[in-house]
Amino acid sequence: MSAHGLRRSARRAVVAAGTAFATFTTLTAITTLVASSPLPAQETSVAAPLVAAPLVARGLEAESAGKNREAIAAYRAAIAAGAVLPGVLGLERVFSVLAQEDSLLVALDTLVPLHPRDAQLRGAQLRTLATVGRDEAARRAYEGWRDQSPTDVAPYREYARVLLFNNRAGAADTVLREASAALGSTRALVLEVAQMRAALGLWREAAEAWRAAMIEEPYYESATVFSLSPTPPPARDGVRAELARAGAPLGATQALAFLEVAWGAPRTGWLALATLAPSDTVVAIWRQFADEVERARAWATARDAFVAIDGARPDPAIALRGATAALNADDAAAALRLVRRAAPAIDGTRRLSEVLPIELEALARLGQATEAERVLARAGAALGEDGVRGYARTIAWAWIRAGDVARARAALAGATLSAEDAVAGWLALFDGDLAAARLALRNTEVPGQDAISALALLNRTRQATSVSIGTAFLTLARGDTALASRRFESAATDLPDAAPLLLAIAARLESARRNEDRALALWQRVAGQYADAPEAPEAQLEWARGLRRRGDLTAAREHLEQLILMYPKSALVPQARRELDALRTGAVS
Amino acid sequence: MMIARKRSPLAALAFLLIALPARAQHLLLPMDDAQANHLKAYGVTFSALTDGVRAEWLLNYRGGSFLVPDLPSLRRASALAGVTFEAVDGAAVAAIRKEIADGNMDAVPLEKAPRIAVYTPPDAPPWDDAVTLALNYAGIPYSRIWDDEVLDTDLAKYDWIHLHHEDFTGQQNKLFLGFRDAPWFVLARERDLGTARKHGLADIPTLKKSVSDRLRAFVERGGFLFAMCGATETLELANAAKNVDIAGPYSDGSPMDPDADVKMDWTRAFAVQGAHLEFAGGVNAMSDIDGHQVNVPSRRQPLGTFTLFGFSAKFDPVATMLVQDHRTVINDYYGVTTSFMRKVLKPGATVLAHEEGAPWVKYIHGNYGQGSWTYLGGHDPEDPQHNIGAPPTDLALHPNSPGYRLILNNVLFPAAKKKPLKT
Repeated sequence: MSAHGLRRSARRAVVAAGTAFATFTTLTAITTLVASSPLPAQETSVAAPLVAAPLVARGLEAESAGKNREAIAAYRAAIAAGAVLPGVLGLERVFSVLAQEDSLLVALDTLVPLHPRDAQLRGAQLRTLATVGRDEAARRAYEGWRDQSPTDVAPYREYARVLLFNNRAGAADTVLREASAALGSTRALVLEVAQMRAALGLWREAAEAWRAAMIEEPYYESATVFSLSPTPPPARDGVRAELARAGAPLGATQALAFLEVAWGAPRTGWLALATLAPSDTVVAIWRQFADEVERARAWATARDAFVAIDGARPDPAIALRGATAALNADDAAAALRLVRRAAPAIDGTRRLSEVLPIELEALARLGQATEAERVLARAGAALGEDGVRGYARTIAWAWIRAGDVARARAALAGATLSAEDAVAGWLALFDGDLAAARLALRNTEVPGQDAISALALLNRTRQATSVSIGTAFLTLARGDTALASRRFESAATDLPDAAPLLLAIAARLESARRNEDRALALWQRVAGQYADAPEAPEAQLEWARGLRRRGDLTAAREHLEQLILMYPKSALVPQARRELDALRTGAVS
Repeated sequence: MMIARKRSPLAALAFLLIALPARAQHLLLPMDDAQANHLKAYGVTFSALTDGVRAEWLLNYRGGSFLVPDLPSLRRASALAGVTFEAVDGAAVAAIRKEIADGNMDAVPLEKAPRIAVYTPPDAPPWDDAVTLALNYAGIPYSRIWDDEVLDTDLAKYDWIHLHHEDFTGQQNKLFLGFRDAPWFVLARERDLGTARKHGLADIPTLKKSVSDRLRAFVERGGFLFAMCGATETLELANAAKNVDIAGPYSDGSPMDPDADVKMDWTRAFAVQGAHLEFAGGVNAMSDIDGHQVNVPSRRQPLGTFTLFGFSAKFDPVATMLVQDHRTVINDYYGVTTSFMRKVLKPGATVLAHEEGAPWVKYIHGNYGQGSWTYLGGHDPEDPQHNIGAPPTDLALHPNSPGYRLILNNVLFPAAKKKPLKT
């Protein structure tokens, strides 16, 4: 499609959107007819006499009914009767839908000389000329208007807007510079300046202009976010610096927070807002932000925002949303705190349906099985037998997290679990029944590294049973990572086909415990004994990192080189090259 | 616990894996779109030269490819760097040579790794230097020199000197307009004043003029000089203003000579003549050499794209080397000096790249005395809007940057063996 065609389609989309509001527009137009602002005395008025009102109304009705030909006739009659502006704007909409914008130019050629200072007529002329691709004529029309009213902001604003709409930011820059020279500043054009700078990729400067605009008009924060969200990563720090500058209006801080969400850094966004002193306005902004990050599934940030809102303006509904966000963020402790904070303000029925599930789930994830059973027992009367049985799985999960397999089984007595239930899968895994665990866990949605490790193992080994594996995972579930690491290491002997994976799990556990020596020895074993294993590149990388942390840069370099040369297809090769470069240039030591 | 330090048997195995495939006679490092890492290909070629291995630069052949002997060390270096190579036997090389002989191409021998110096302050400034970024990323070694080294040592020990962001008029890029109280600015000013006093010079403008003159002499005696960003324009001005005060009162305590414009001696400049100085102290520009004037909002011109010229490889190999690239149209990028107005260029300056329809050019080259100079406008080819304080560009994210290739062309071109021109 040509540039001209693109302009026309974009314009038509805008105008088409406008026609959806035709009924509303009817009222607005009639109001305009009755109460138009006065025009300079020397000009013929574009405001309509009351006799033209029925003609405009007829045009609007025909337009909203899709009877474009009738609408055109009515608008022409309205213009003839003196309703120049509503008639022209109506024709502009209809001709745009029909892709006949050039038809409007004939009318404008007559009307503009009669009303040379009418900004809306002039604006319609500029828009139409630009839409039909007559850029040179548009420029001449602008220059004529500008020369006639050199100290009026309207010609500069209208033409700059037309140019920006048509992606001609460079030309808009020229117009705004002319405005600056003629008006002494671009203060009245700060929005156009901001848009122009963003369109030119002058991101920091655009942010500066938006910040200035929001000092007077704080509601431009959404426009700011829309304008600056395409900022490329290298330029974002400049935008951040402008919007966070001391003395920046609240709208700038709000815009920065939402930009960070758009740029994939919701946590940073929240940090910009979190330090604001709570007031009704700030809490309202926090609510908007919480809604946004909740939509973006940035659960940890949503949790923090809900906690702050609930702290400033206690609200059980907010606390419950915070608890849900915390659970989704795998922060069961915060979920428990929030749900218990909300509970007293919630009536009995809602407490059963909204509070209890979150509270039990949080307790289960924390492994507080006894407490979970106590809470469930307290709600037993209201829940009924079936209701209590419905939570058997949650209670069993709590016992699993507590590492008590026998009580988990007891909790499940009488409950029906499908063969693919995750609880059944974990119990099977702890029993060493790998075949049953493989079936049950394949669709598990339980988050966490344990689940990932278990799934990786079950996908790797072909063995049907292994008591030592079950014991290792049970030890891990109980939170004893030191013993779990040793059990995974010894299990490697029992499961030769998964030995490198088990050693890698053990090494990762040791790294998490900051037991560098043992982690390094385990990675060394993986890299040395299982060079063909999928874990070998990771082992080389981690080995190199361990050596680098010890200051043995030469040996670290050797292992990075081995990774690159021996596993050229590994996804870790780019990272190894990056770390090799850092070693070479002394960026790390 | 002790970790084994001896070289793992895997290392030997890895080496064998690299060395084992049947050896071709040459490795071709293609520089067209087949290349995975254009920038590091320069580093691999440079490392070959450093090791005493001869290489060839196949101008205009597949984006300006490199031909090196098929050595295990070069295969290994290429694999480590992620550089694509193709093993080519004698017959394939013969076919390539025939293709080169039949077209606008040439094979230029590269014999000796140039000795490189980068003029850069001892402490890192709050902006990065595209050349040091490129050299570090490609793994090309260089020496760092600053005012003391330029004034006190024999620059003839270097083949190639690079200048980037420095203001040789001694006005610190007029950054006092916005940064006079910034700690890094104050420190830089004190450091340069200390250097000036140490050398018995009155102020920073005088110091920088002395440095400029030494650099001019380096080129005159046969050196290669490559400059980017603000160093280009200010080196021209400083050399042409040897006996004229062109620095504002903030820098040397005295106003500019009101007749400075007519007193400039442009015969001492490499590229420019007849330029006009900026006399307004509050305007962040030095002269009308730069077409874009990025730091003067009322004059700033938008960025476009620039196009590399094609030259006859057999008759104009130097210019051809400097424009070897896998793209001919490249997005422009700002710098303190972004471009060079065509109207102020000396007739002898060769335009290597320009913006279609614009009154400015981007990339120029010329000879001066026994040596040559090359100017590339702009600050960082992969950061068009680069601002002070912005994080440095991570070239690992731009391994195929056509803009950075222009910098590395300049690094390798002094390695080329001079061939008699075909007539």
